[in-house]
Amino acid sequence: MSLLSVFTKGMWKELPPFRLVLGLCPTLAVTKSAETGLGMGLAVIFVLACSNVLVSSLRNVIPRKVRIASYMVIIASFVVLVELASQAYFYSIYESLGIFIPLIVVNCIILGRAEAFASRNGVIASALDGLGIGLGFTLSLTVLGAIREILGEGTFFGAQVMWSSFRPFTFMVEAPGAFICLGILLAVMNSFSKTQQS
Amino acid sequence: MKALDITVSPAPHCHSGARITGVSYNFILALIPAMAMGAYYYGFDAIRVIAASIASAMIAEALIQSVLRRPITIADGSAAVSGLLLALILPASVPLYLVVVANFIGIIVAKQCFGGLGANPLNPALVGWAVIRITKAWAGYLDFDLALINYETGFILQYPLAVLKAEGPAGIAHFGLMDLFLGKQAGGIGSSAILCLLVGGIYLVLRGTIRWEIPASFLLGVVVIAGIFWLRNSSNYASPIFHILAGNVMIGAFFLSTDNATSPVNRWGMVAFGFCCGAMTVVLRAWSVYPDGVIFACLLMSLFVPLLDKMKKKQLLPPAVSPVTPQAISESAEVRSAS
Repeated sequence: MSLLSVFTKGMWKELPPFRLVLGLCPTLAVTKSAETGLGMGLAVIFVLACSNVLVSSLRNVIPRKVRIASYMVIIASFVVLVELASQAYFYSIYESLGIFIPLIVVNCIILGRAEAFASRNGVIASALDGLGIGLGFTLSLTVLGAIREILGEGTFFGAQVMWSSFRPFTFMVEAPGAFICLGILLAVMNSFSKTQQS
Repeated sequence: MKALDITVSPAPHCHSGARITGVSYNFILALIPAMAMGAYYYGFDAIRVIAASIASAMIAEALIQSVLRRPITIADGSAAVSGLLLALILPASVPLYLVVVANFIGIIVAKQCFGGLGANPLNPALVGWAVIRITKAWAGYLDFDLALINYETGFILQYPLAVLKAEGPAGIAHFGLMDLFLGKQAGGIGSSAILCLLVGGIYLVLRGTIRWEIPASFLLGVVVIAGIFWLRNSSNYASPIFHILAGNVMIGAFFLSTDNATSPVNRWGMVAFGFCCGAMTVVLRAWSVYPDGVIFACLLMSLFVPLLDKMKKKQLLPPAVSPVTPQAISESAEVRSAS
């Protein structure tokens, strides 16, 4: 597999929430607006790329029996970094993401990439894999957040985009709106990939 | 031992003549008096909502079925019935885009995504209503006290259940029970016409379109649970008669809860389903933030239908071989020792 395809597979073939259906908990919970979706995605890109690099460079040192615990320690260290940095510099995003920043530790995408890719491949490939998957995750979260924000609040990144008398369909920013929106996007992408294959 | 009472015979079979189309048109026929009542009190506005609702439900069904490449079945009238039911529980002044959104979500998400007619776990009309009801920015359109403020109908345009929620039984003394029964109460376009709904519901029961167990046990559930509340503390809770005559109970008992796809198939399952719907209605009216609980009660109980479908009499299969009893063993032993 070429390095380019390692990077680009995260954009469509292994797009985390829609093609792999991984990491659904943050996908449903933090996509109330495009801004929180983007913030969450950037945090995940950082953690994913860094933990992939570290896991990959330590892959011959970590004993096989304790590898999961070691990955968790590595991931948790980077998550603490992200949490403290966002608390210091992006306080409003930190407040709106709340518990979901610490919960990046248990995001199955990150552990999944460490186990499935970084522990078996070189440092550069692992870094590209982390960046690609993270970028795909960020794009998905931003798109989902944008759809829910435009319909549910009438705004896009906080700017008014609907007409002035628009009464927002606030159902979309509630929890059931997240499930329905995600389900419809999944169905559209599945039918798209089906027509692509045939 | 009694064998299973089932006859399995080869084709040809005799068809009873019941079709989906017939069921749907019976429903529509039974709802005509309630529709007429709404049109009489609220005029063109009511007709506008009913027409828009039926049209958008049918358009949604045709649209999603052509997208999913399924056969288009809007002619069977099931989408029209769900659009009509939704219109009858809405106030006459509701903006039309609300009606369209509710019908599209109801038909597309709650019905066709689950596999279409018969496979839907929840009634599409009720899901559509619930979606626009829990949308905070739109809830005002569904508040009957605000929505009906500009109408002149000749009776008190206060929603009886909202008054009950705000002031307790002392506030509802000026609602005559006879007025409530005759449909002289604020409420949905058709859901407030109690007498018309009763007539239509009895027609459906007599035609065999719906089973009598669900409406009867629904009303019984309301009476029993409201009666318990009322007997315990009649200064805080309204009488069972008021609970039956106000709000959505009558349309819920005969039309909303009896949808074939979302109600149980066995007699005792139906009884339990209806009774729990009625009980949950009163509980929601007494303790929730919503003035009426019929629709949420029907939605909640529909989720229990797969469980309630298991409520049937245990049927014993005939034994395949004659049972070996201790007596038979000792008898054969005697025979053997004697020989």
